[in-house]
Amino acid sequence: MAEPIAQDLVTGTVDVDGTTVTYFTAGKQDSKLPPVVLIHGTAGSTENHFSFVFPTLARDQRVVSLDLTDIVGKPEITVADLERQVAGVVNHLVPAGPISVLGYSLGSVVAAAYAAHNPDRVQNLVLVAGWIKTDTQQLVRQDVQAALRGDMAAYKKLSLVLAFGVPFVAKRTLDDLLTIAPPPAGGMEFIGKLSDLNRIVDITDDMGKIKATTLIIGCTYDMMVPRHHSLALFGAIEDSRYTELSSGHAIVWERPSELALAVREFLANPNAYPAGSIIPEVQP
Amino acid sequence: MSQSQTHNVTDVEVLAIGAGFTGIGLGIKLTRQGFHDFVILEREGDVGGTWRDNTYPGVACDVPAHLYSFSFKLNPNWSKIQAPGGEIWDYLRDCVTDEGFWDNIRLNTDVTRARWNEDSKRWFVETTNGTWSAKFLVTACGHLSDTRTPEIDGLDTFPGDIFHTARWNHNIPLEGKRIALVGTGASAVQVFPELQAIAESVVLFQRSAPYFFIPSGKHQAFTDAQRRLFARYPQAMRDIRSEIFWYSEGNFPPRVQVPKLLEKARNASLKYLQESIADPELRAKLTPNYEIGCKRILGPGRFYATILQDNVTLEASALTRVDGSSVYGANGDGYEVDVIVFATGFDATEPKFASIIFGVGGQTLADSWKDGMKATASISTPGFPNLFITNGPNTSLGHNSAVYIIESQIDYIIDTLNYVNTHHVERIETTPESEQEYVDSVAARAVGSVWLAGGCNNWYVDRRTQRLTVSWPDFAYQFRQENAKFNPTDYVLESVF
Repeated sequence: MAEPIAQDLVTGTVDVDGTTVTYFTAGKQDSKLPPVVLIHGTAGSTENHFSFVFPTLARDQRVVSLDLTDIVGKPEITVADLERQVAGVVNHLVPAGPISVLGYSLGSVVAAAYAAHNPDRVQNLVLVAGWIKTDTQQLVRQDVQAALRGDMAAYKKLSLVLAFGVPFVAKRTLDDLLTIAPPPAGGMEFIGKLSDLNRIVDITDDMGKIKATTLIIGCTYDMMVPRHHSLALFGAIEDSRYTELSSGHAIVWERPSELALAVREFLANPNAYPAGSIIPEVQP
Repeated sequence: MSQSQTHNVTDVEVLAIGAGFTGIGLGIKLTRQGFHDFVILEREGDVGGTWRDNTYPGVACDVPAHLYSFSFKLNPNWSKIQAPGGEIWDYLRDCVTDEGFWDNIRLNTDVTRARWNEDSKRWFVETTNGTWSAKFLVTACGHLSDTRTPEIDGLDTFPGDIFHTARWNHNIPLEGKRIALVGTGASAVQVFPELQAIAESVVLFQRSAPYFFIPSGKHQAFTDAQRRLFARYPQAMRDIRSEIFWYSEGNFPPRVQVPKLLEKARNASLKYLQESIADPELRAKLTPNYEIGCKRILGPGRFYATILQDNVTLEASALTRVDGSSVYGANGDGYEVDVIVFATGFDATEPKFASIIFGVGGQTLADSWKDGMKATASISTPGFPNLFITNGPNTSLGHNSAVYIIESQIDYIIDTLNYVNTHHVERIETTPESEQEYVDSVAARAVGSVWLAGGCNNWYVDRRTQRLTVSWPDFAYQFRQENAKFNPTDYVLESVF
């Protein structure tokens, strides 16, 4: 029996247009901070992407997370579909009052869209390795990955060197990387649909509607959603500040503690840095 | 006590007790600010603290050296990832030489009493080598400086040599001797393979089995090319430092009720045991009976490989009795030995310096701490104005570098000195309310932690009250966030004017 990712974890489900969505919640009861909602990325899940961030934030505040779920019979999943799953969980667990939202990778696309459409609810927003509009570099990378699907060993290797930062990979063996990266979550069919969604992301029109106090976190060595995407978000979202961490795209496995503490610090005092600030990376 | 009672009182603005990592780091920062009105008192004949005292064979720091060193004084020349103790000692001596403040250090100067004088608003510090008066006093004694040796029945009848790992006697040859090694903590696991290699036999007294980090498999020694790169391109050292720091921070959550991460850490360590020790009976003896992290998790080194050597006996109980040259474990088995080595650690919960520091109204710090160490921001306590206590309450880490905490406390002191100079303050005293608020905040974070609920006896918890008084129950990063800056609202300030 696997241990839960956090102490006193509550797990449940909500129905969203006929799809059963699983959620998780835990955390400090009497916190002054609004609850934070975590949205994972492609091939992820709450456990897969947030087993470090979730319990760390739960020391200070209530944390809510969901496992994005395939919509059976629907060939194309949209950002709006995923947004509705987020809304279903939020409306069930935190029906009123301010919330913070954190999205990682594709989850940050969903988080940004949700924040744009719920400006009265989303007080603080954290976008980790996110993007606005898919570009050529991402499409070509996905083409090559797709072409290798017939050769799983090669596909896996390529995925690992794309996911982790170059310096991180350089110091480890392939076996080390396989141990650090948990197996993909969500099922192959759903991952396929999300991969298709990754190719056509464009939330440009939502950018002006985001009113939340926002932290953009770019990853220096990211080759899947390179840092220029995070900089684009920094430019596009009015009340945003930017920080960059020395990691590849897989920051949730490569530098989970640095990520979690950057988020913890922001959520504890979102306006510590004014809009437009570049927050320097910590030099311990 | 007044100035007239003493002769040759030397006035100084800042007086620190101890020339280990903290005293030297403070000296560097003050000197670089152009502030030279400070003196560091050192009871021994050289600087270096822990790394001067601990010279046992195999001594090294289990925190990688590029992190276990000052961020403001990086060293490109470490020979290994985990530096030998002698190199760290040299590094600290070099710090003093490079920054040029040997003249601020008084060696062979043991503090016998420090007393706050309210009339002059200064500390009067008596030593074996003269008396000082100081506006600010800093205890920089370290929490692992006073050795602890258990009281063993009949130890005085032992005819052979006895020594503590932190007071090694290099004049006594150990080749071919029968040695009892007492303890399985951080020092024990380092000295154990060295003793095994030269002794006729080693019996290891293990009160409780340790957990180990799994070996990284990385090559330990840095090459000349790597060291030259570090010298030419210091950012390479910073990158390593950051990588180790954040990796280490990743080992914190298992200590505070994160079931999944706790299970992962425990399973990894037990798997390493399983792979290292085939014999089920021996493995059972080496399996800890408490939760991982309750005691310090140790660097893997060669412990298990050494246990398997023919001249080693594992006595899985505490040393309880000595009768002449026979030493007995708790379960009654006896062994004939020539030498007893105590690797039994240090007194951390009740620091010795606390009994010679007299604050407002003449009360000692030890009295004030009779229910356990406590302090605002882990550094100052009511009744003891203008006193900074470093490496005191809730400053120890089980998962990251102590030097990071030390630097945070140095930053706090420097920030305070700058504040009082700017604002012409002559006396600062923290309030009981601020101290209580901090103590409560720390206690709330310690609830359910492995130190309190992990089912072991450790040196992080005060046995008198069962409060966690030594360890910091949060990320190291969070310590610096909270405790590296002077907060005037925690104090009553008296100005000169």
